[in-house]
Amino acid sequence: MMKHYQQQHTDIGEFSDISFWKKTDKLDLVYVSYGLVIVVAVIVSYILGTFNWLPYDPQEIDLELMMGLPGEGGHLLGTDFLGRDILTRLIVGIQAYFLPGLLAISIALIFGTLFGVLAGYWGGRFDTIITYGSNLVDSFPRLVLILLMIAAFKPDIYYIMVVVGITNVPVVTSLIKGRILLLKQQNFIEAATAIGLRDNVIIFKHILWFNCRTILIIQATLGMAEAILMETSLSYLGFGVQEPTPSWGNMVQSGANYLLKGKLWLSSAPALAILLTILGFHLLGDGLNNILERRRNGQAI
Amino acid sequence: MKLSAIRPVALLLARELIITALLLLGVSLVVFIVLYLSPGDPFSQLIATQQATGPSQPKTSDALQTFSAFQQYLIWLTHLLQGDFGASLRTGLPVLNEIVRVGINTLYLTIGSMLVTLLVAVPVALSSARRGMTMLNWPFTMFAYIISALPVFWLGYVVIYIFLHKFNLFPIIFGFSNNQKLSWLYFLLPIFVLGIGNGTLSEIVRYLREEMGRVLAEDYIRIARAKGASIWKHAFKEGFLLPVTEIIAAKIPFILGGAVVVEQVFNWPGMGRMAWQAAQDRDYPVIMGIAIMAALIVRCGSLLQRVVSIVVNPRASRT
Repeated sequence: MMKHYQQQHTDIGEFSDISFWKKTDKLDLVYVSYGLVIVVAVIVSYILGTFNWLPYDPQEIDLELMMGLPGEGGHLLGTDFLGRDILTRLIVGIQAYFLPGLLAISIALIFGTLFGVLAGYWGGRFDTIITYGSNLVDSFPRLVLILLMIAAFKPDIYYIMVVVGITNVPVVTSLIKGRILLLKQQNFIEAATAIGLRDNVIIFKHILWFNCRTILIIQATLGMAEAILMETSLSYLGFGVQEPTPSWGNMVQSGANYLLKGKLWLSSAPALAILLTILGFHLLGDGLNNILERRRNGQAI
Repeated sequence: MKLSAIRPVALLLARELIITALLLLGVSLVVFIVLYLSPGDPFSQLIATQQATGPSQPKTSDALQTFSAFQQYLIWLTHLLQGDFGASLRTGLPVLNEIVRVGINTLYLTIGSMLVTLLVAVPVALSSARRGMTMLNWPFTMFAYIISALPVFWLGYVVIYIFLHKFNLFPIIFGFSNNQKLSWLYFLLPIFVLGIGNGTLSEIVRYLREEMGRVLAEDYIRIARAKGASIWKHAFKEGFLLPVTEIIAAKIPFILGGAVVVEQVFNWPGMGRMAWQAAQDRDYPVIMGIAIMAALIVRCGSLLQRVVSIVVNPRASRT
């Protein structure tokens, strides 16, 4: 009973005597700061790659120094099987997923919000259609759908990321819809309607801006992790970026033969980059979620 | 059980069946639209191969051009419903037989890895739901985060490397081994890798923990505790059976997607490798068949989940 009571009432406002720092779990702050470091690193590396401010040329072959270990010959992360600088290739590899990932996120968030509002705020027939549509999209394993697209269209990475974005729409839709249904139980939406606010003011200001922006931020970070995973998997499978242009996925793939011969570093370096980056986005999303959403509801989990 | 109690359940089940059928129709429509819009008119080729293997009268792909899109869809769908998925452009073999042949391997892989995931996730989730966050499950939470961020293909190679070098076992090729006693190992490695590395582990733990925690806080559990009855018995249906079936049904697509990558790493001859090959060769009939099969598996999984939840709690399932 007590828990129920708290859920109902602390959700109305963010006013509380307890300061932000006291009620926040320190572990979540660690998560979020690690995530922010990763996000900044990715953005900075993206900019470095765009303007070509790189320590080495990513294609430059150095047969004198093949499979150099980290630090050898001035290469901070070593060199790959053709003597190319691994750090440079990792930085350039970010080009493969950064903009396409942003595209996937935007599609998921924009359409997810649109359908979520339609289904949650107006409900009725919209709700039915959107639920069936979501179930339909969820029926396909994402990678299988993308392979179907590849067989049919031979699309480039941007079109593939459109598909990734579309497959992420149902998640965002259901979160936004659930939140709106929860908000509808409280009476401030009714009150807003009663004082004559127009639907679009209620939706954009009172629902989306005041109550849904954290959901959207969190979904954006998780969506980026998803996009990275998808892009690296596809390049690993040989459908994404092709050699000699570096991508984290094809770096793991091309290093894998050497891995079995005992040269672990060649494919482990890009794999660790994938691991640390995706971990960063996950922790950022979950940490933000814990700090902004759960604590606000007064539940200690 | 009285008839009056069975009837609403039967109605709900019938409703779920109809919804599943409609969604599968939608799936076929999506696949049709993708193939229909793709350049080079692969769709006519596809129907031509269907009729080459199928029971009905042959039509050339030129004759098909005269049909409207909707008629083409209907022709294709009737063949599909008769189990005629056409023939592979590469090998010329009927697609459905091929999918069924290799699908068994994928089934072993996915079901096995699901079991591995649950064997890890359930004990952790249950113990932390009961005792709350302790120092013991903090490292596990961190471990689960790292595991779900790990690229599964790299994990596969590392596991192969460890077994190759540390235990001197090779070659790692499915179904082939010069040491018969160890063939089970080659079978289990991919299952283990997919089960750990499919990226759903931390989510499953979190979901089960929350659901179990929610049920354990309910009044009827407190009453059961007060009168000394078994808590697990009371919490089993709501706190364990329903969440587990729900999360399995929701994660089937992810496991199938992960299988594509893991099968590639381990040379496992399943649907995923077939899909990869088909996408390489632009072998439309095969990739179409696999997409439809995968969607069928996903929908059947979620139908089963709905059946379980209706039977367990008919009242809550009514909409």
